[in-house]
Amino acid sequence: MSQYWILVAILLPMVGGVATRFIPFKKEKQMFFFVEMYMIITSCIVWGLITGGTTEVFHVVHFVNDLSISFKIDGLTMVFAGLVSVLWPLATLYAFEYMEHHDRQNTFFMFYSLAYGVTLGISFASDMLSMYFFYELLTLSTVPLVMHSLERDAILATRKYLYYSLGGAAFALMGLVFLIVYGDTLEFQFGGVLNMAKIGGNANMLLWIYLFAFLGFGVKAAIFPVCEWLPTAGVAPTPVTALLHAVAVVKAGVFGIIRLTYYSFGTGFLRGTWVQDVVMILAMFTAVYGCSRAVKESHIKRRLAYSTVSNLSYIIFGVTIMTPLGLVGALCHMVCHAVMKICSFMCAGAFMHQTGKKYIFDMDGLGRKMPIIFVCLGLSGAGLMGVPGLAGFISKWNLAAAAVDSKNPVAYVGIVCLLISALLTAIYMMSIVMRAFFPPHDFDKNTIRNAKDPGWKMCLPIIICAVFTLLLGFFSTPLVQFFRTVAVGVY
Amino acid sequence: MDQSVLILFAIFIPIVLGVYLLARPDYKSRVSLVANASVGFAITTVLSLVILIEGDLRLDVFTIGKNMNIYFHVDDMSRVFGTIVTIVMPLVGIYAFEYMSHYKKEEKRFFGFFLMVYGVLLALTYAGNVVTFYLFYELMSLSSVPLVFHFRSREAIMAGLKYLFYSLCGAYFVLFGIYFLNQYTITLDFVAGGTLNMARVAGSEGLLLVVAMSMIIGFGVKAGMIPLHAWLPNAHPIAPAPASAALSSLIVKMGVFGVMRVVYYLFGAEFLRGTWVQYTWLTLTLITVFFGSMMAYREKQFKKRLAYSTVSQVSYILFGMALMQSQALIGSVLHILFHAVIKSALFLSAGAIIYKTGVERVDEMRGIGKKMPKIMWSFTLCSLALIGIPPASGFISKWYLATGSLATEIPVIAWLGPVVLLVSALLTAGYLLPIAIDGFFPGPDFDYKHLEKKDPTKQMIVPIMILAALAVLFGVLPNPVISYVTELVASVL
Amino acid sequence: MAFVQNVPFFSIMISMFAGIVSSVLSAKTARRLNIIATVTIGLLSVWLLVFLIQSDIGSYTYMMGHFPAPWGNEIRAGVLEALMAIVFCVIMLLSLLGGLHKLAEEVAPAKENIFYILVDLLLGSLLALIYTNDIFTAYVFVEINTLAACGLIAIRETGRTFEAAVRYMIMSLLGSGLLLMGICMLYDMTGHLLMSNMKASIDVIMQEGTYAVPMLITIGLMVVGLAIKSALFPFHAWLPDAYGYSTISSAAMLSSLVSKGYIFLLVKIFYRVIGLEYITESHVLNIIFWFAITGMIFGSVNAIWEKDIRRMVAFSSVAQIGYIYMGFGLGTEAGIIASVYHMLMHSATKSMLFISAMGLTDVSGKNRDFFALTGAGYRNKVAGAGFLVGSLSMVGIPIFAGFVSKLLFAEAAISGASWRMFPAIITLGISTILNAVYFMKTVLRIYTPITKEEELEKGFVRIQWNQQKIYTVAIILFILLNVFLGTNSKPILQMIEVGLHNFM
Repeated sequence: MSQYWILVAILLPMVGGVATRFIPFKKEKQMFFFVEMYMIITSCIVWGLITGGTTEVFHVVHFVNDLSISFKIDGLTMVFAGLVSVLWPLATLYAFEYMEHHDRQNTFFMFYSLAYGVTLGISFASDMLSMYFFYELLTLSTVPLVMHSLERDAILATRKYLYYSLGGAAFALMGLVFLIVYGDTLEFQFGGVLNMAKIGGNANMLLWIYLFAFLGFGVKAAIFPVCEWLPTAGVAPTPVTALLHAVAVVKAGVFGIIRLTYYSFGTGFLRGTWVQDVVMILAMFTAVYGCSRAVKESHIKRRLAYSTVSNLSYIIFGVTIMTPLGLVGALCHMVCHAVMKICSFMCAGAFMHQTGKKYIFDMDGLGRKMPIIFVCLGLSGAGLMGVPGLAGFISKWNLAAAAVDSKNPVAYVGIVCLLISALLTAIYMMSIVMRAFFPPHDFDKNTIRNAKDPGWKMCLPIIICAVFTLLLGFFSTPLVQFFRTVAVGVY
Repeated sequence: MDQSVLILFAIFIPIVLGVYLLARPDYKSRVSLVANASVGFAITTVLSLVILIEGDLRLDVFTIGKNMNIYFHVDDMSRVFGTIVTIVMPLVGIYAFEYMSHYKKEEKRFFGFFLMVYGVLLALTYAGNVVTFYLFYELMSLSSVPLVFHFRSREAIMAGLKYLFYSLCGAYFVLFGIYFLNQYTITLDFVAGGTLNMARVAGSEGLLLVVAMSMIIGFGVKAGMIPLHAWLPNAHPIAPAPASAALSSLIVKMGVFGVMRVVYYLFGAEFLRGTWVQYTWLTLTLITVFFGSMMAYREKQFKKRLAYSTVSQVSYILFGMALMQSQALIGSVLHILFHAVIKSALFLSAGAIIYKTGVERVDEMRGIGKKMPKIMWSFTLCSLALIGIPPASGFISKWYLATGSLATEIPVIAWLGPVVLLVSALLTAGYLLPIAIDGFFPGPDFDYKHLEKKDPTKQMIVPIMILAALAVLFGVLPNPVISYVTELVASVL
Repeated sequence: MAFVQNVPFFSIMISMFAGIVSSVLSAKTARRLNIIATVTIGLLSVWLLVFLIQSDIGSYTYMMGHFPAPWGNEIRAGVLEALMAIVFCVIMLLSLLGGLHKLAEEVAPAKENIFYILVDLLLGSLLALIYTNDIFTAYVFVEINTLAACGLIAIRETGRTFEAAVRYMIMSLLGSGLLLMGICMLYDMTGHLLMSNMKASIDVIMQEGTYAVPMLITIGLMVVGLAIKSALFPFHAWLPDAYGYSTISSAAMLSSLVSKGYIFLLVKIFYRVIGLEYITESHVLNIIFWFAITGMIFGSVNAIWEKDIRRMVAFSSVAQIGYIYMGFGLGTEAGIIASVYHMLMHSATKSMLFISAMGLTDVSGKNRDFFALTGAGYRNKVAGAGFLVGSLSMVGIPIFAGFVSKLLFAEAAISGASWRMFPAIITLGISTILNAVYFMKTVLRIYTPITKEEELEKGFVRIQWNQQKIYTVAIILFILLNVFLGTNSKPILQMIEVGLHNFM
């Protein structure tokens, strides 16, 4: 396929989104159809592109100095773009029903589509600057989505989100600048682009900068000291929380960290240094921290958001192992977690949408009333725990295999952290499911008389994701095989 | 050596039937529910018996990923565990048809999960590698939780969650180990004598010992071994009696089975013998043996007392395994078998008593033997077996354990082990016999006037009596079992 | 000598004379004259720039009346000067257009032509500051500049503006005084007033090592003098009031141009009078550096506390001036290039912010309070867009100008690899977060809609773009300028680099 299709893929949802805002649709249905159509077309283009193999760098515009916005397709792109392009149309379908009774739907779908284009931009970006550009745009295009309800808490949450994200980007920028100064090129190359001759005696300084940039990208990936925005941003409508705050935005942060670690600084430079220990310990700590906060939370979406915090750190833990196997584990969890978490968020959203309640103690006995939702929630929850046969087990297996293989004692402790956090995951996910299916014996069933499963637009994406959770659990071999090729830099 | 699809049937027929029971709308009549469930029990039991008799079957099912095969292999050890599952589950099931008739609305759920547990337990016994084992181990935890909090009182739910989290905690200790074994073994399949890749292990022995300890503790959770035993006295008594019986006699054994697989089939006794792991493990089991008996002795609540007794008895088994000595191991394997039979009978009797009289505390059970003589006779027989009074079965296993312990060269343990076993046996007598004595000899002030026969229906009595009979029978005619076990032990040590 | 080389001289003269002539013209004619003059000068400067780039001259000196030094007065023009002149003209014009309809409200009709006189004078003095090669001439125009600026502040004639103007006057004169003392001492030591001659003498003096202490003091005096005038922290006290309460065009011009004129003069002094290497050696730069860093944080923190949107934007200027001085403080050429670029970027952005802020307050019942602005972005879409772009630029989103300067600063800080690196980049990061805090807070506020009823109740109006055509055009041009600076920085940076080299 021609490289120009990359541009088409990125721009199509953007243009479509803006059109959605301004075309006066007679009926909601028409708008839904229109939105879903261009989403699906975009996804088809993306799949066409990534199955077409890698491409040369494609420069779009020149920017500052020799820097340009340019795109290419490499292994990591395939993973990330492939992931979001599957999930986006699904989440959009879900959003149609979820947003039914909300005002300003067209504005919502405009930004929802914009974010799609921007996320694709991040994944296709061929160098640090292009990625940074789309990274910032992602923050901005998702802001209106977070504050969609326009209530006070939404605005406060949006502010927090903005401050964290923009601040993080500023530190990520430092990493970028260092690459300009000390690297051969900004282009992502597997193994890193640092120029050892230029670095000379400044290696230690560069490690500090790596730490800064790591934390900078870590803001979106919700690493410990800078993770608080994510649960707060849960005030957004659920399609946003499900897709953006469990997949696109946060994974973009992780994606940034992977690009930074494997494709810019290079693991050869970082492995075995103090900074590796620091970032690894941060990731490990966050994995446990997020879970323990999730256990304490009784608001369903905030609980899931903290769970995201923790799970993102699994991925980062994989990244910080800094071996090809570590990357395999990280990518694996990136995909598996995306599927599972979007599923559980959608279920939580369906619960909120159908009952108007938000807290876990309101879920008593709903399992019988909303079987599809709660079976899927249970499935994704079990997946997150790492029950064998589901997606989570595979990714954790790969992460742990990498950690063991690295022979790094800190990574061994990381496995322990993973397992502690898995236990906590069990506590916070299973307590939801148990409550829904086995309410206390004195529970009055009349209070939930009217609850029922939502319509097909919500159920279908949920079921598909649940099925993915199962499929990934059993048929992961080709996928993992593909990740292995990516992780040794074949693509 | 044939690939046998039979295994799959034995595992999945009960699971699928269980799921079907759970998912379908409520039955109109109880009869059809019972019919459905009993068909499930019957088919599974027959299949399982066929597999047990056949022996040495294998089945490669599926590959989830690299080193992650779903693979079943029925070996000699599987047959031991398979036997207890196949004896206890159907009997408990029959008993439950009567017992659960009290709780109409929930019955369907109970039998659904009970059938699932049956299938999962069989799968565990057939599992041919550690990944498969782990898969079904987790499934066992998940599917047995609803049995624990069946009554859904606040306490029951708390106990259920406690059970779940302890189990998972243990499972994750195990998983931690599996991650490492994946790197350091030749294969993750169970091979008698161990499968460590010594070339790779060289230099990392310390690490691997930690891993082994973690796996032992992990599986030890299910087996109620200190330090992670606290769930057991909460969870077992709160469940309905048939579930308690299954939990105490079978599910707990799966923890033991896990330890067995880890120690003798993955690491190999050779690797662990004489290390700090063995000593720590021995110490833990001895403490548990003593502690469990002690707590049982002090406990007044009947089912809870039996639960503590389980804690103590299962650690007998673990103690025997930890000695890594053939006599002791024979004792362990025998005790696995005997304890399963005895303890399920005890719990079922306790259930029958509660079912008929509503009495839950031992001090309220005076004269119970007069009211329910058949139940109490079975109970007494089983108690004697558990204490280890010849010729009942418990004596044989304890004998082997004690001789094995005396025969080891480990200092302190060699004499401390038998002493603790003996003390604990005394305590066992102390907490079981008074029930029987008070039950049959309520004393002069007992009100005989209002005495009424309360023995339950045959459906409940027959399973208990069968089990009690087995408990005695194994003691009287132990030779075929012993010779089988001796052979088995020779192959793994 | 090509005719085009007369452009600097013409530019200064056109603006000066425009001012003089305006005094007898009606306000309307004066306005036209001013606009024509600004446009003409702008076009001439473009011509000059093109000429300078195409020919190999690079830069040249121009003797006024062909009198050679030491009697004559010299003008010097180069790529950078021409570029500055263009930018200043463009921004001045846009600021004027943007604030035009507001002017009638804020300035008494009788004083309106005086406003234009002051603007003309301001432009003239700025151009002179840019072009002059004589340090004393520079001083003279500094003073003219100050006076014009004072007038622009005071012309609104409310209590607050008088106070602000007086405060500005006092601070500014203090700065001028210090500058004058510095110039005197330099004259004492070198015996010259022309920059090139001074440079030659100073080279000799420095090599001989005599006058080390006086030279340090001189550098200190001049730097501090100009720092006061351009409101470097902690000498910024006059700034928020002066920018916050004057008429909107004045605020836009003052913030974007006046301070930049002084800073440009400082650059010239660094390069053309003293020599960068001596400046770098002296410890004055360290002091500047720390002041600048503190200013970057302090200005932003103050802006966060501020509830009045105009004062908030004004405080943001304190922070931005801090950026510029930080670039100087790095003591490398890359730093100075970044600073000069930041001057351009800040001029373009800050004036836009002021103008848009005005548009927003106007549709919120003239209430400048932060909370009154709720939903203002919908009531005046143009102003909202302007403020949004300005904010994004300030926060450093790519494709807007602010990103480039942030990138340049970071690059400069890093490639210097001295001890200044870590404080510099950490402050850059923190300051970005702080910028994000107050700008994004405001953006969210203006885009949080309120109901129609509430609007009616509070008496807010909605303004469409066709009710404010000039304003709309101005804002659009501002946005385009910003994007242009953000996406085409490459040629501009080259010009700055070449220009700075020609300074030597």
